[in-house]
Amino acid sequence: MELSWRSKLESLLGASIVTERIPAGGADIEWLNDAGGQGGTIKSGSRVTMPDGTIRLIVSADGEKVEYVDLAPGDLSGREELLLEWLLSELARADNADGGPGRGPNREMRRLGEWIQEQISAGRIKAAVPEDLNAGGRLDSERIPFLLLADHATTANDAELEKLLQAYLESDVLLVPLREQEWLILASDALLRDEGGVEEMPEELLEGIARGMHDMLASEWLGENHIAVAHPIEPASAVVETVFLLRETVALGRRFHQGDMVHLPWNIHLERLLSSIPEEQRLRFIEQTASRSDLLLEPEIVTTLETFFAMNCNVSDTAKKLFIHRNTLLYRLDKLKQDTGLDVRLFRDAVLVKLLLLLYKVTKRKP
Amino acid sequence: MAGVRLEHVYKRYPGSDVASVKDFNLDIKDKEFLVLVGPSGCGKSTTLRMIAGLEEITEGKLYIGDRLVNDVAPKDRDIAMVFQSYALYPHMNVYQNMAFGLKLRKFKKSEIDKRVREAAKILDIEHLLDRKPKALSGGQRQRVALGRAIVREPQVFLMDEPLSNLDAKLRTQMRAEISKLAKRLETTVIYVTHDQIEAMTMGDRIVVMKDGVIQQADTPETLYNHPINMFVAGFIGSPSMNFIKGGLYERDGAVHFKADGLDIVLTEGKASIIREKGYVNKEVILGVRPEDFHDEPIFMDASPNSIVSALAEVVENLGHEKNVYLAGLGTDTVIARLDGRSDVKEGANVKLAIDMNKIHIFDPETELNVFEN
Repeated sequence: MELSWRSKLESLLGASIVTERIPAGGADIEWLNDAGGQGGTIKSGSRVTMPDGTIRLIVSADGEKVEYVDLAPGDLSGREELLLEWLLSELARADNADGGPGRGPNREMRRLGEWIQEQISAGRIKAAVPEDLNAGGRLDSERIPFLLLADHATTANDAELEKLLQAYLESDVLLVPLREQEWLILASDALLRDEGGVEEMPEELLEGIARGMHDMLASEWLGENHIAVAHPIEPASAVVETVFLLRETVALGRRFHQGDMVHLPWNIHLERLLSSIPEEQRLRFIEQTASRSDLLLEPEIVTTLETFFAMNCNVSDTAKKLFIHRNTLLYRLDKLKQDTGLDVRLFRDAVLVKLLLLLYKVTKRKP
Repeated sequence: MAGVRLEHVYKRYPGSDVASVKDFNLDIKDKEFLVLVGPSGCGKSTTLRMIAGLEEITEGKLYIGDRLVNDVAPKDRDIAMVFQSYALYPHMNVYQNMAFGLKLRKFKKSEIDKRVREAAKILDIEHLLDRKPKALSGGQRQRVALGRAIVREPQVFLMDEPLSNLDAKLRTQMRAEISKLAKRLETTVIYVTHDQIEAMTMGDRIVVMKDGVIQQADTPETLYNHPINMFVAGFIGSPSMNFIKGGLYERDGAVHFKADGLDIVLTEGKASIIREKGYVNKEVILGVRPEDFHDEPIFMDASPNSIVSALAEVVENLGHEKNVYLAGLGTDTVIARLDGRSDVKEGANVKLAIDMNKIHIFDPETELNVFEN
């Protein structure tokens, strides 16, 4: 589980970040501004020596609240304190770059992301979003959830990504940063409401939008990425559960379908089941099922079988798809039957071979 | 437009000892149509993806024009990609799909409109601009994907198996259209395919890859007629080149190739290379393309030293030509491509002459072509 920078900071310092709401113009904030604001107002990285000698490092401050860490005098050397002050001011600058100065919503999304992380870490996947993180009620309406994982280290900020997504999805988009290089995207479900034209299944449309998003981000943003999409949800009540599902989908997709960059929860039921089987049992299944299952590792055979299954075991369609003669395909299938004892034209054997192909991707076999 | 230069480029994936692409050196000229071809896993797509910026380069340098772009994001490389999936944006119509990249780059509306309509005209999809992708056929979708790339007017087009989702007929049609388009746009194209017919018909130059290494980079004609090794010889051409294991020996001043069922005499030009390189009395592999077998009487009369006899096991009549599967020449089946008027019968013994000017001899250990190295 990756921690947010706030959690990392708390863990390094052995102290908690305290959040205090301070009434605007109150005596406390005036005092802090006088003591640590260096002629202005306190900000991230400001250092205040409290009347009792405690060093108060300001993590963030806006007109309504202040986040700080209290350290006992002598906890850190002077140089460490300076380093920390600089670090906090840089982090604040990065935050501002993401959201733009005074951009409340993005900071809100960041907090929402941290909250989702905390719920998943604590195993509370059914948790509902608290009112103060509900983005002004925007999480109450149905939205399409996408999970985006960037493969390369990103240098672009969230604002740039948000703009791209808004242009692509042509609607209001909520971008929730989760872990490093990982975002939850909540798009309007209006995308699924088509004005006339050819009927399309929601799954097909969602997949199409996700694939388009992948290509768009690959070429217009920073390169390769993985995307998972689920059916529309009401984020206020289901966002944690959905992030959990989408993460699992990406993990299973990357494991079982290497090379595919778009992952769909409704396409990986079998993969989910297989990954829950202990390694030893998987190995036993492989050894017992086919007399020469190593043949199923040959690229030509794998491509032939995967296409055969994708074409619903139709010989003519498979041959057409593979650009080979029907007889060539039949020859390959006959040879496989001869060598492994499995005839994929029979439903029972087709199921076994499909399972073998999937298990090969996740099972360490004896050399 | 610009050329692309790769200098000693390597790609290694984390956790893998073997490099997926090794010491890749290539200078792709401005306006060249270059095809990367090879079997799956040979590193061709990885190379293209490194040029696109979708994969990081582990080692080496990549230049687009004169600019070193190793650390430049894909969007800033001034390239346009057409993927195998050509995922169109399903919620946008054709016009919006094509205009999207320009809109992001804040082009003026009038300029966007001009470019989209020009590209639509070139691709003959003007009448489809208002349609959503789901209302298009496979070929029309492919055209829109090309249109999306064209409107960008990039320095380089990158295409990764763009035709593999189309049926055979449409594939042939689009192959010709992409070639025409590249010439019309006068742009640099780097095109990846596993299909050697696509490579041969489209590329100004073809790079044949295997195991992450360039085997040979040359024009289609040179690759076909002068393959540098057995891999290239076997990969380019369909049906592929026949390989027959045997030995070379010299008698009465002539160099012979002998194997099970055949004893043929090399031309003097080829014999002198064999002698010079010390291959007399050594085991070698003979390479003969299917079309270099002949049964026309005039050819047989003129080539008495290269006549072979074999059993015609199967005859595939394709109308304009016949593919004859022969047994008895070496250990494996040999395919001869004869003229459609040939009266060769299945199950009969046939006599054929080999065009000895076009044979190849390969070293069985290095697999290199003795005449080309």
